Amino acid sequence: MSDALSFAVLTRLVTQPMAVFKALSKSTPDGHRVFFQLIVPLSLIPPVLAYVGGATFGWRLGGGEPLMMPARSLTLISLAYFFALVFGLVSSAAVSTWMAATYGAQRAFGTHLALAGLVATPVILASAAHLAPHVFVNMLVLIPALIWSLYLLYRGLPEALGIPPERGMLMASALAAYLLVAIVSLLGITVVLWSGGIGPAIGV
Amino acid sequence: MADRTSGERYHDRVASWLTAFAMAWSIVGMLAGVYVAAELVWPTIDFGREWLSYGRLRTLHTNAVIFGFGVSALMGTAFYSVQRTCHVPLFAPRLAWFCALAWQVGVLAGGISLLAGWNGGKEYAELEWPFDIAITVVWVCFAIVFFGTIARRRIKPIYVSNWFYGGLIIVIAMLHLVNSLAIPVTLSKSYSLFAGAQDAIVQWWYGHNAVGFLLTGGFLGMLYYFLPKHAGRPIWSYRLSIVAFWAFTYSYIWAGPHHLHYNAVPEWVQSLGMVMSLVLLAPSWATMVNGVMTVAGAWQKLRTDPALKFIVLSLAFYGLATFEGPMMSIKSVNVVSHFTDWTIGHVHSGALGWNAMITFGAFYFLVPRLVGASLYSVRLANIHFWLALAGTMLYVLAMWGAGVSQGLLWLSLDEIGELSFSFKDIMASMAPYYALRLVAGIIFLAGALLMAFNLAMTGKGRRTVAASPPAVGVEGP
Amino acid sequence: MNAVDLHRKLERNSGLLIFGILFVSAIGGLVQVLPSVLQDDLVTPGPGTQPYGPVQLAGRDLYIREGCSTCHSQQVRPLLAEVKRYGPYSKAGESAYDRPFLWGSKRTGPDLHRIGGKYTDVWQRMHLLDPRSVVPDSIMPGYPWLAERAADADGSIQSKMRALRRLGHPYTDADIEAAPAALAGLKEVDALVAYLQALRAPPAEITP
Repeated sequence: MSDALSFAVLTRLVTQPMAVFKALSKSTPDGHRVFFQLIVPLSLIPPVLAYVGGATFGWRLGGGEPLMMPARSLTLISLAYFFALVFGLVSSAAVSTWMAATYGAQRAFGTHLALAGLVATPVILASAAHLAPHVFVNMLVLIPALIWSLYLLYRGLPEALGIPPERGMLMASALAAYLLVAIVSLLGITVVLWSGGIGPAIGV
Repeated sequence: MADRTSGERYHDRVASWLTAFAMAWSIVGMLAGVYVAAELVWPTIDFGREWLSYGRLRTLHTNAVIFGFGVSALMGTAFYSVQRTCHVPLFAPRLAWFCALAWQVGVLAGGISLLAGWNGGKEYAELEWPFDIAITVVWVCFAIVFFGTIARRRIKPIYVSNWFYGGLIIVIAMLHLVNSLAIPVTLSKSYSLFAGAQDAIVQWWYGHNAVGFLLTGGFLGMLYYFLPKHAGRPIWSYRLSIVAFWAFTYSYIWAGPHHLHYNAVPEWVQSLGMVMSLVLLAPSWATMVNGVMTVAGAWQKLRTDPALKFIVLSLAFYGLATFEGPMMSIKSVNVVSHFTDWTIGHVHSGALGWNAMITFGAFYFLVPRLVGASLYSVRLANIHFWLALAGTMLYVLAMWGAGVSQGLLWLSLDEIGELSFSFKDIMASMAPYYALRLVAGIIFLAGALLMAFNLAMTGKGRRTVAASPPAVGVEGP
Repeated sequence: MNAVDLHRKLERNSGLLIFGILFVSAIGGLVQVLPSVLQDDLVTPGPGTQPYGPVQLAGRDLYIREGCSTCHSQQVRPLLAEVKRYGPYSKAGESAYDRPFLWGSKRTGPDLHRIGGKYTDVWQRMHLLDPRSVVPDSIMPGYPWLAERAADADGSIQSKMRALRRLGHPYTDADIEAAPAALAGLKEVDALVAYLQALRAPPAEITP
């Protein structure tokens, strides 16, 4: 399985995605190894790039001046970003493992974790756009990547977990629903913390 | 028994026509939506025409999708399903035709009146008093046909889908009658019987529950009929559906004031609205679980039935919207989300992801049966599925981005306690999100157009003359 | 009788089911909405709140006709940043003569409850007819037709004021008599500007 975690595989993810998921279905990777060799390195990429981009150019939200944040805020935000990504990937894998019984899928946590990492890979690589911290540029790059990831989820999941595509479609939709709810919860939590006084000052 | 029923047929032509009208309204409504989205990117494309102006066209958009698309689809599926769940043909079929056609004329004339600037000023109740009266008349006829059919039923228990359709008819009547109370001045102008803060409370009691009992409850009626039909098995837990129905009907009605957090209405009204909104999560998710478990036992059907995919996806977005809503009613979230595009995103995760998708699912099921032919192209339906999914996702993401940044930037203060950003700068920074929303809308509309083509070709290509099936014993719920 | 039996009864009797739905769904309205509608102090005019004059009233009806409240709220919330941005927060008594209320639900553009007096009449007029002539980045539509039509083209101002008087707005016979003269010669845009300029906090609020 070690080769499934190397960057060579990431390029194969673009050229022959289904082969990668097929390979995953034939192995039972160890959860800890996947976590440290795939999830952590992947989750580091966007925050680091966001830090570099934000510190060098400042975030452009639109017409106004770029928003230059002090190094401390930037570090905090990047750290929060990292933990949010790790949490998102691990919790998705946990939910997916939990649902596996209902959908008759493989139930090894390591497989689900690797699946989550592989599905997220296009979005994470596209986060290179963070180096040009302009909302519009980021959207242009990240949106197609997101659609690519969605495609990988619906096509790759049944392949990797060894279930018929029809059943995989159900499970993938359930996972997509979980992800949407998780994102909106994250938004809600951020907003509550923010209006509660943590983070940049707002007048409520 | 056989004697009495011989020669009886289900009245399906009225349902077919309502389906066609609903399809047409969905295109009109979504096209208007795409156009107003484009106006937020290029504000001059109204070319100085009154009827293309944002304030009027946006009102047409909401009315065409809710009352044109939504109600026509609900009326059509209600007429279709109530006959089959009661094992009798429609009561007063001529009245049913009157309902169907009068509603179309009303929405068409109403839409034109909105473009002409006849606007009552209350959200989702903009139509002026002549239309309010017309709506009431048609609605009473709808109730007579629906409950008349139920009263003549040959199956003793009333199936759960009919409770939701019934709830739709009764509660919307109550809301509409109270909220529309007004003194007419001219044909195109009236003044609300309620003023100021009281008007606000009445309006959001109406506005929120129009969403509740029409866009949620009515469409749950659709779900409870078409999901078991598609899946070919009964609903996972009938008892859960009973509990969820009553909990839903009781608690939804209280939640309106969460639209008025931090507004000039009494504190207790706001707090009660928030608490009841949170309570609402329970029946909403109970229904979702019931739906998901019903499909989970029938996954093989997905291979042959492209429409079932839409229902699966509609459940996912139903889950999202019914989670997001209570969350946004929490005061410390609402303080940021209120007045922003987050609200627009929330509405559309429901309207596109739930209402439109489940209706698409129902129509892909219904139309081949109504016209007596198989679906023209399964492949096109599958492409539509992906367009609908991508369009909804992009829409929701764009509005999350726009809404959260608006909310936070409006409120943010710098280190000396002054406002950090001018309103103008924040508004200008919305451009990328608004552009993305436009793209998302176009993608979704393209899917709907594909569907209209697919269903039209299905109708054209029918092999047999459409015959209404005999009324008895053909299909239970 | 337990809940399941009760329900079995309901689901077998359509009359009972209709009544049950009506009863259960009405409770919330009766407990929450009805008391508010009967609570007089919610619509008691605040100090300094006057009914709209004929020109402002005509302007307000144009504001409704053009759907301004789809993008502009009229409700300053009691939050530090909002009071800084817009002015004193909105009170219930200020809306006592608002039929319907126009608090809005969306701010694509800014809140307008305190807009009165912030810009000159000339600026407001230019902004309404062609927003980008004064705010280059604006995404607001222009309303050129407002400059073309008379403010009371259908001559309905007196019936409007009479209707409002029946609802309790304190217009005198003399007020109603004088209304057409006040609107004579005005274009729609003038009436709308007069309404916008009237949107300000009651005088007691402004002087600290």
